[in-house]
Amino acid sequence: MTTETLATTEPTTRPGKRPLVIKHRRRRPRVLAHVGLILVAVVMLYPLLWMVTSSLRPNDEIFTSPGLLIDTFDLSHYPDGWNALSKPFGSYLLNSALVVLGSVVGNLVSCSMAAYAFARLQFRAKTVAFAAMLLTIMLPVHVLIIPQYVMFAQLGWINTYLPLIVPKLLATDAFFVFLMVQFVRGIPRELDEAARIDGAGHARIFLQVILPLMVPALATTTIFTFIWTWNDFFSQLIFVTDPDLYTVPVALRQFIDAQSQSDFGALFAMSVVSLIPVFLVFLFGQRFLLRGIATTGGK
Amino acid sequence: MSAIGELRTLRRDGRGGLTADQKQALAKERRRDSKAAAVFLAPWLLGLVGITIGPMIASLYLAFTDYNLLQDPNFTGLENIQRMLGDERLGRSLVATLTYVVVSVPIQLAVALGLALLLDRGIRGLALYRSVLYLPSLLGASVAIAVLWRLVFGGEGLVNAFLGLFGIQGPAWVAEPDTALGTLIVLHVWTFGAPMVIFLAGLRQIPRQYYDAASTDGANKWQQLRKITLPLLSPIIFFNLVLGLIGSFQSFTQAFIVSNGSGGPADSTLFFSLYLYQEGFAGFRMGYASALAWLLLIIIGAFTALNFWASKYWVFYDD
Amino acid sequence: MERRARRAALAGSALALSVSVAGCGIAPDPADAELSEGEVTLTMTWWGADARHQSTLDAIKLFEEKYPRITVEPTYADWGGYWDRLATTAAAGDMPDVVQFDQLYLSSYAGRGALLDLDAVPEFLDASSLPDNVLASGEVDGSLYAVPIGVAGNGVVLNTSLFEKYDVPVPDTDTWTWAEFDAAAQAITEASGGKVRGLSPFGADSFSLEVFARQHGDQIFDAEGDVTIDPATVAAYWQRELDWIESGAAPDAAALSEKAGVPLDQGDTVVGNTAMAFIAAGQFTAIAAAAPDFEYEVADWPADPDTPEGFQYPKPSMYWAASSQSEHPAEAALLIDFLVNDPQVARAFGTDRGIPASEAFQEALEPTLDEPARKLLDFTKLVGERSGDAPPITPNGASEIETMLSRYNQQVQFGKLSPQEAAAAFIEELQAAVDAAG
Repeated sequence: MTTETLATTEPTTRPGKRPLVIKHRRRRPRVLAHVGLILVAVVMLYPLLWMVTSSLRPNDEIFTSPGLLIDTFDLSHYPDGWNALSKPFGSYLLNSALVVLGSVVGNLVSCSMAAYAFARLQFRAKTVAFAAMLLTIMLPVHVLIIPQYVMFAQLGWINTYLPLIVPKLLATDAFFVFLMVQFVRGIPRELDEAARIDGAGHARIFLQVILPLMVPALATTTIFTFIWTWNDFFSQLIFVTDPDLYTVPVALRQFIDAQSQSDFGALFAMSVVSLIPVFLVFLFGQRFLLRGIATTGGK
Repeated sequence: MSAIGELRTLRRDGRGGLTADQKQALAKERRRDSKAAAVFLAPWLLGLVGITIGPMIASLYLAFTDYNLLQDPNFTGLENIQRMLGDERLGRSLVATLTYVVVSVPIQLAVALGLALLLDRGIRGLALYRSVLYLPSLLGASVAIAVLWRLVFGGEGLVNAFLGLFGIQGPAWVAEPDTALGTLIVLHVWTFGAPMVIFLAGLRQIPRQYYDAASTDGANKWQQLRKITLPLLSPIIFFNLVLGLIGSFQSFTQAFIVSNGSGGPADSTLFFSLYLYQEGFAGFRMGYASALAWLLLIIIGAFTALNFWASKYWVFYDD
Repeated sequence: MERRARRAALAGSALALSVSVAGCGIAPDPADAELSEGEVTLTMTWWGADARHQSTLDAIKLFEEKYPRITVEPTYADWGGYWDRLATTAAAGDMPDVVQFDQLYLSSYAGRGALLDLDAVPEFLDASSLPDNVLASGEVDGSLYAVPIGVAGNGVVLNTSLFEKYDVPVPDTDTWTWAEFDAAAQAITEASGGKVRGLSPFGADSFSLEVFARQHGDQIFDAEGDVTIDPATVAAYWQRELDWIESGAAPDAAALSEKAGVPLDQGDTVVGNTAMAFIAAGQFTAIAAAAPDFEYEVADWPADPDTPEGFQYPKPSMYWAASSQSEHPAEAALLIDFLVNDPQVARAFGTDRGIPASEAFQEALEPTLDEPARKLLDFTKLVGERSGDAPPITPNGASEIETMLSRYNQQVQFGKLSPQEAAAAFIEELQAAVDAAG
C-alpha cells in the first residue's frame, strides 16, 4: 500500500453499513437519545436565545426579564450598535479576522511541526523539553503580561498585531502541541514505516502521511484557535492601544462602563453579530472533524 | 515486517545482541531523528527562548522582591513566602480553587465524553446537535454571561422559578457564600464543548475495523466500549484531563465576570488567579503576585506530574 | 545546539529582567519643561463608555485646531481594562502623557513618582478656576498632581415615581432627619408588601463611609495617610446597614450580595427594586437616563440636630494628570489646561464627567442642561454651600479600600463577622496595606 492511497479521505456513512435485521430493535434507544439530546440542547440554546432577544429589547427591560418573550420589539440596537463607535463595527470584525487568521495559520504550522517531533522522533532531552513545554502554560498571564509588554515594547511591537500573532507562529500554545502529540501517537507507526520503505524522509512522512491523517486534530486546532483568539480580551487590550486597531472583544467593552451610562442593547446586538463568524467557522470546521483514519478505508 | 520495523523492535527490546551493522543503522537513524527534531522543533525553541522564557524568569525573580509596578523591585529574599504562610485569603482561595477543580473537572469530562459517545453514533441531525451543544462554549467568557447568570441563579431567577413549581423556595444561588461556587461549577460544566469536540475528533481516529471485528466475534456494545473505545481513546481522555486541570486551576474569567472581579460573596469564589490578579493589579504588589503565581505553577506541576505517572497504568498508546 | 539554546535563554531572560525595571528611569525635571519646537505627538487615555469617547474625541479635535503642531493620540477602555492597561504601561515606562485619574489610585501613582508635578509647570497650566477645596483633593504631599474635572457630593437618590405609586409622601429632604428617612423607607416596604424596598443601604464604598464618618466627627485617613477612623464609627456604619436589613427597609443580604458591584444599569435603583439609595451624585444623570420610566430626585443626606455641619464635601469624580515620564511635559500641561479652561470643552463634555468643578464651566453648561442634569447641578451647588474642608484623599497603598470594604461588608451581611470584628479587621488590613506601600 502506498502513501497516496492512505492519504485520500473518503467519507462514508456508517448507518448504511449496518445489517438490516437489527435496525428495528435500535429504534427505541434512538428516540430516547433524541429526546435526551433535545432536552440538553434546549438548556444549551437558552443563553444564546436570551442574548438574541435581549438585543431586541429596550435597554431597561434587559435586566428584568429572564424570559424569551419580547413585549416591545426593538430592532434599533443593531444599526445603532453597528455605527455607535468611532468606526463602523465591521472594521473591528476585520481587525479581529486578521489577528485570528494569523493565529490559526501560526498554530497549525508550528504546533503540528513540534507535535511531530515529540510524537515520532527520538532525540536527547525529549522528556525535559516536553515537560518544559507544559510548564510554560502553567503560569497565569497576569504576572507575565508586564515583562511581555516590556519585551514587545523593546521590539517596537506595541500597537501592532505582532505580539498577538508571532507567539502563535512560534508554537507557544502548548495546548495544541500536546493535543496534536496525542493524535499523532494514535496513528499507527506502520504507516510511517511503509512510507519510509518507499524512501520518504521525515518531511515527506510529516506532510504526506501524518498531516492528512490528523485532519480532525487540525480542525480542532483551527476551531479552538479561532474562537479563543476571537474572544481573548486581555492581551488584545494590553498590546493594542490605537482605537482604530481595536479588535472585537475590546470594541465590545466600549458599550459598557461600570461607572457611567452603558448601552447594553447595543452590546448584545454586536455580541450576536460577532458570534456569527465564530458559529460559521464551527459549522464549517466541524465537517473536518469527521475525516480521520476511521474513514480512510484503513490499511 | 519491514527492516525499519525490525530495527524499531530491536530498539525497544533492548541493546543485547546487536550486530555491528544493526548498531550502525540504529545510530544512523538516531542522528537522522535528531537532525529532523532540530528542524521540526525550531519554531517552538525559538518561541521558548525568544518569547516565553524571558517573562517567566522575570516573574520568578520578581517573586523574591517587593515590586509595586511603579518603582524598582526590591529584593526581599523569602519575605513573600513568609507572607504566604500567614495569608488567610490565600487559604480561602486555595480551598475555593481546589474544590472547583476537583468537582468540576471530572464532571465536565464525564458529560463531554458521554455526549461525544452519543453523538458519535451517527444519529440524524448530528451536525446540528454538535453545534448546539458547543454554543455555550462560544459564550463562556462573554460579558453577557454575568448578566444572564444572575437572571438564572438569582433569588428571583429561573432556577428558583422552576423550583417554585414544586413548592421549593431556593436561595439566591449566586449571592450566597455557600452556593456561589456551585454556580461557577455549573457554568464550567456547562461549557463542556471544548473537551467534547476533542473527544469527537479522537473517536474518529479509532479504526472502524476494530468494531466490525468485535461485532463478528459477538461482542456487545458495552464490551466494545470497554475493550475498544475507551482504551483507544485513553490518550485523548488523558489529554483532556491534564489540560482540564491546568485550565481550571488557572480559571479566572468566569469568576471575574460573575463576581465583578471581587471573588465574592465573602471570598467564596476567590479563585487563585483572581486573588493573584487583585494582589498584583489592585494592590500593586506584583512581587507577591509573582510568588503566588509560582506557587500555583508548583501545585499545577505536581498534579500534572502525578497524572503523567498514573497514566502509565491506564493510557494506552499504539506506538 | 543545547548550549546555544541555554545561552540564548539566559540572554532573553536578562533582557526581560533589565527592561522590566526600565520603567523607572530618571524623570526629567518638570521645572525645566518648555514647549518643543516643531511637531509634537501626545498620547492621552481615559476610561468610560462610548458617549464619553466621542465627546472626548471632539474635545481633542478642538485642541488640535487651536494648536495645529500638536497631535493627540487617544486610547480608551472601560473602567476595569483601563487600570490594568495603565498599570502595565506605567510599569514599562510607557504611560500615556495625559491620563484620566481617579481619586482611588491618585496617591498610589503620584506617591511612587509616576505623575508629573503640575505645580512645576505654571506657565502652561492654570487651574485657578477651580475652588481651593476642590483643588486640594488633587494634591499629594502638598503638590498638585491632578486637576479635578467634575465634582459631586454623596447624595440620596429618591425614586419619586415609586413614592407616588405606593402613596407614600416624599419627605422634606431639606430638613429630614434619620428618623424621618427610616420611616419613609419603612413605609415604602410596607406599602408595596415587600415587593419594593425602601432603600439600598450603604456599606461597601469609601465615599459613603467618609460622609458617614464626617457626620460623626470622624474621618477615614489623617493628613499623613494613616487610617485613623475609630473602629466604633465603622462598626456603627455597618450596624446601621444591618438595622435596615433587619427592619425590612432594605433588601436582605442575599439580594444585596446579588447586586454587589453590578453595573449601574442593573442596580436596584435603576431596576426599581428600591426607592432610595446612597450614591456618588455624579451617577445621577446616568441613573435617570437608564430608567426613563422613573422620576428621580437627588437630595442631601438626612441629618440629626446634633450632626456636625459641613459633613458633605465635593469629591472629584475624576481628574486629569500627566506622566512624569512624558517627553513633552509642557504640551501635556497645555492639553490639561485646555481641557480644564476652554468653555468649548465644557459644552463638548456636558455632564458626562460629572458637574464641572469650575464655575465658569458650570455657567457655560447651564443653558444646555436637561432636567436630571439641572437637578444634579442644583445638588452640586448645594453641596458646595454646605461643604466643609475636603478630607485627605485615599493614600498611597490604600487603593484596595473599596474591595476591602465590600468584602468585609459581605461578611457582616452574612453574619460571618460582627460589625465590631469586621471594623477592627478592616482597619488593620487597610493600615497594613498603607504601611507596606509607605
